[in-house]
This record gives sequence, C-alpha cells and structure tokens, in this order.
Amino acid sequence: MVTLPDAEVAPRTPRPGRRVPHVPGEPGAWIFILGDMCVFAVFFSVYLIQRGHDPGLFAHSQGELNRNLGALNTIFLLVSSLLVVLAVRAIREESLRHLASRLFLGAIGCGGCFIVVKAFEYHEKLAAGITPATNDFFMYYFVLTGLHLFHLLFGMAVLTVLWRFARQEAPLSHYKLAFVEGGACFWHMVDLLWIVLFPLLFLVR
Amino acid sequence: MTRRIEMDSGLMKAALWTGVALVAAMILSQGILMHFIGPPSPDLTAQELAQKFINRTGEIRVGCLIMCMFWGFWATWSMAITVFIRKMEKGYPILTYCSIALNGGGYVFFILIPMTWAVIAFRPETLDPAIMQIMNDWVWFDYLFTWPPFAVWMVIIGLAILKDHNVPALYPRWVAYLNFWCAILIFPAGLIVFFKTGLFAYDGVGAFWMPFFVFFGWMVAMTLTTFQAITRHRRTLEVKAGIAADTSARAL
Amino acid sequence: MPTLLRTPASVVWLVLVAATAFSWTLGTDHGLGPDAQQLAGIAILAVAFVKIRFIGLYFMELREAPILLRGLFEVYCAAVGTLVISLFLFAR
Repeated sequence: MVTLPDAEVAPRTPRPGRRVPHVPGEPGAWIFILGDMCVFAVFFSVYLIQRGHDPGLFAHSQGELNRNLGALNTIFLLVSSLLVVLAVRAIREESLRHLASRLFLGAIGCGGCFIVVKAFEYHEKLAAGITPATNDFFMYYFVLTGLHLFHLLFGMAVLTVLWRFARQEAPLSHYKLAFVEGGACFWHMVDLLWIVLFPLLFLVR
Repeated sequence: MTRRIEMDSGLMKAALWTGVALVAAMILSQGILMHFIGPPSPDLTAQELAQKFINRTGEIRVGCLIMCMFWGFWATWSMAITVFIRKMEKGYPILTYCSIALNGGGYVFFILIPMTWAVIAFRPETLDPAIMQIMNDWVWFDYLFTWPPFAVWMVIIGLAILKDHNVPALYPRWVAYLNFWCAILIFPAGLIVFFKTGLFAYDGVGAFWMPFFVFFGWMVAMTLTTFQAITRHRRTLEVKAGIAADTSARAL
Repeated sequence: MPTLLRTPASVVWLVLVAATAFSWTLGTDHGLGPDAQQLAGIAILAVAFVKIRFIGLYFMELREAPILLRGLFEVYCAAVGTLVISLFLFAR
C-alpha cells in the first residue's frame, strides 16, 4: 500500500557473483547511530583529558571499582548481541522466523541482567558513601555509565518492539524489516559503547 | 464554486512562525537583556546571586515580560506538528492525544521561567538573598530538569513519522531518527541535581549548553521540515481535490 | 538453530569473548610497575577498538554496506582509537 522511496530501503537481492551493497536498517538510523557514537567519543576524550590533570586521583579512585561486575556486564552484552544477530538472521528466513521472537526475548533478558548488576554496582558505591559529587573520577564514572544505561534502556524498548514484530503472523513489510535491522544495530551500538567504556573506566590506569 | 482543501496552510505556517518568534524572543530577552544565556553558577553565594538581580532589575523585568508573551507560543508551534501527527497516525489518535497533553503542559513550564524571574526581580533589594537563591535554582531546574516530557514528545514524533501511512510521506524518515537522537541527547539536563560545579552543573557544558543547543537546534530542524511538509501536503491535497494537476514523477 | 549459528558472526563472537577475558586479565591488579601498566593499558584500549570494529563489520553487517557507510565506521574506529590511546598516553 505504501510506495517506498526507492533509494532508501533496498531489499536484499543477492545476485550471483555480485554483492549488492545494503544499508543495514535505514540511512536515517545511521545519522542517529554514528552521531551518538561521536558524542560518546567526545565524552571519552573529555574523561581522558581530565584524567591527565590528576592521574593519581583517577588511578586511586578506579581501584574502588568492581572490575568483575564490569566484566560480567560485558559478557551479558556480548551474549545479548549474539542473540540479536541470530534473531535478525532468523527473522529473514520464513522457516526460522518462530525462533526470532525467543531470541529477542533472550537478548532483553540479558539486558535485564545488565541492569541488575549495574544497580548492585551503584548500590555498592552509594552504600560506601561514594556519590557523583565525591570527586572528578566518580563524577565521570556515574555520568558515563549512567548515560550508557539510559541508552541501554532505550535499546530494551527497541528490542521489545522487535520482539513484537517477530511475533506477528504476517510476513514483515520492507519498512518493518528495515526497522528490525536498524534497531538491532542500535543495540549493537549499546554493546560497542560498553566495550570501550569498561576498559576506559575500569581497567586502564 | 471554488474547491477548497481541508488544510489552511496559512494558519499552519503562522503557527510554525510563532515558534520562530519564541526562539528570537529568547535570544533577545534571556540573552541580551537578562544575560542569562548561560546560567549563573550554582556555586555562587546567595549574596552574589542577589546582586545579579539588583544590578539588572530593569532589564530583567522587561525581558521577563517579553519572554512571557512569546514563550506561550510553545503551545501553538507544537500544535502545528501535532496536526501532522494526527494526519500520520491511523485509527484512534493515541499519539495525537499524548502530544496535546504533553505540550499543553509544556508551555506552562516555559512561562513559569520568566514569571519566576520577574517575581525575584520584583523586590530584589528587600527580598532575602537566600530566598532569591532558592527561586533562581528553581527556575533553572524548571528550565533543564523538566526535559523528560519533551523527550517523550520527540519519541512520539519519531514514532508517528515511522508509522506514517500517507503517500507521499509527510516527513522524510531521517527526521524520525533525528527526533530519537535528540530525545537521548537532552538527558544530561537531568544531571544538574547532583552537581554545583563542573560539566553537569546547571551552568555546565554537558547539562546546559549541549541540551540548550540540541533543543533549540531541534526546534529549528522541526520548523524547517514542517514547513516543507505543509508545502508537500498541500500539493497532495490539491491534486486529490482536482485543483492541481499531478505532475509528480514518483511518490516522494 | 544450528543453521542460524553457521555464520562468521558466531566465530567473531568467540573471539570477542576471548578478547574480553584477555583484557580483564591484563587489567587486574598484579603489582606491575608503571611502565608495564601503561603498556597493558595501550594493549587493552587497542583491543577494545579492534573489538568494536568487529562488532560493526560482523554484527551490524557493515561488511555488506555501501562503501561510504562502512568507511565512516572504519574511520571512526581508527580515529577515535588513536585519539583515545594518545590521550591516555599524553594528556597532562
């Protein structure tokens, strides 16, 4: 019913011998994703510059962080990303589509685990009297991980939509498929940002 | 017997122009007159803060009057977009009603800002500086900490655009993603409650300047794309009413 | 399910998990001197940016994307990676 703007959402039609370039999702989604990655790049840089002003304080405060929880969270996100990759593959195959909804649900579950671990981590800090206002390092720790957490919550909402799409009876329209790919890419971005944040905040001194 | 289309594009555009006026009035009143772009530091003592109001009492009073007059236009500007949200969604107008509710409340937060400043500037010499400090803090929290309903509306706009069933679509799809991105980008405004100095205090780069530029930049982007949408949709309606010939080579 | 797993992305995932374990080991306290710690830091950060490149190429499927989009992502990984490591080493 809806006429598609041709250039934007190209369906995958692999031709023998030639790969047709395919934008995962939609071009518009990439403005969002790459833009957000750039904003985080600015935050990474600001953090490192501030660290340069007082490396002793930063190293010492960093020692109070729970690296094991941080690593655990990295694993949760990696697992969730794999589940999302598999779910997107499943949703493209008519015969395998029924698996997609369960895979998305699994990814949401992993996201939930991340939140629980993060809540525990924050609680640990706050119970020890450490707040965002304690010192510069902890300001960046709480703000950067908080900002990431906000993205993760957004991502969970997106995954929920994808889960709903995966459950529908009828085959997905071009636009819905594009949204699935774009939404999956957003979730991978959430994973990707943590892959940098974890070593930056927790590991390197 | 003249045939008419159901959209009064003149009024729609006028509503959009009120938003432009809102931004212009802000620059004049908040910026040039009151010197409140950016905010005074939350780290100032009550006395230092009170002095700012005493020094520019006249400018602040006039600025507040202007700002109060123009910031109510948030309601009219947002309704131009809401009309299109109504046009983009099918069936029961949940997104439209959410938009009306969010923005009906939104302009109240907007005009409480100049109103409070005006109250502070009403008796600045005799008012207790500690009270002035609380009221000034309150204003900046009203300005920044109230970001969520606006972020929710941005998400709603994005959703409406992605679900648009019109041919041709009212907005290009990237506008939806821009809205989602801006909704996330204004989140740091919520961090002002934790800090009195630094990046995320209410005078900081992270909590004030970035959300400030994102928000008003978003207003500019939405104004421009909605103007385009009006023109495009008017064309569509005219073709449908048989007033104009269909010269479009392809949909969108 | 096995059909789904039969993709390069699965192998990439195993590599990412291994890399995480590697970085975590390097990053834990083991009484290294400051020079070794700095080297460890560089290694950990470099690994992180290689990891995100893999995520982009294999999870986000940028390998099959138009060259401009893939290029932007690759440039991001290289540029931000270099910037982060440089700031880690030289910011004062």
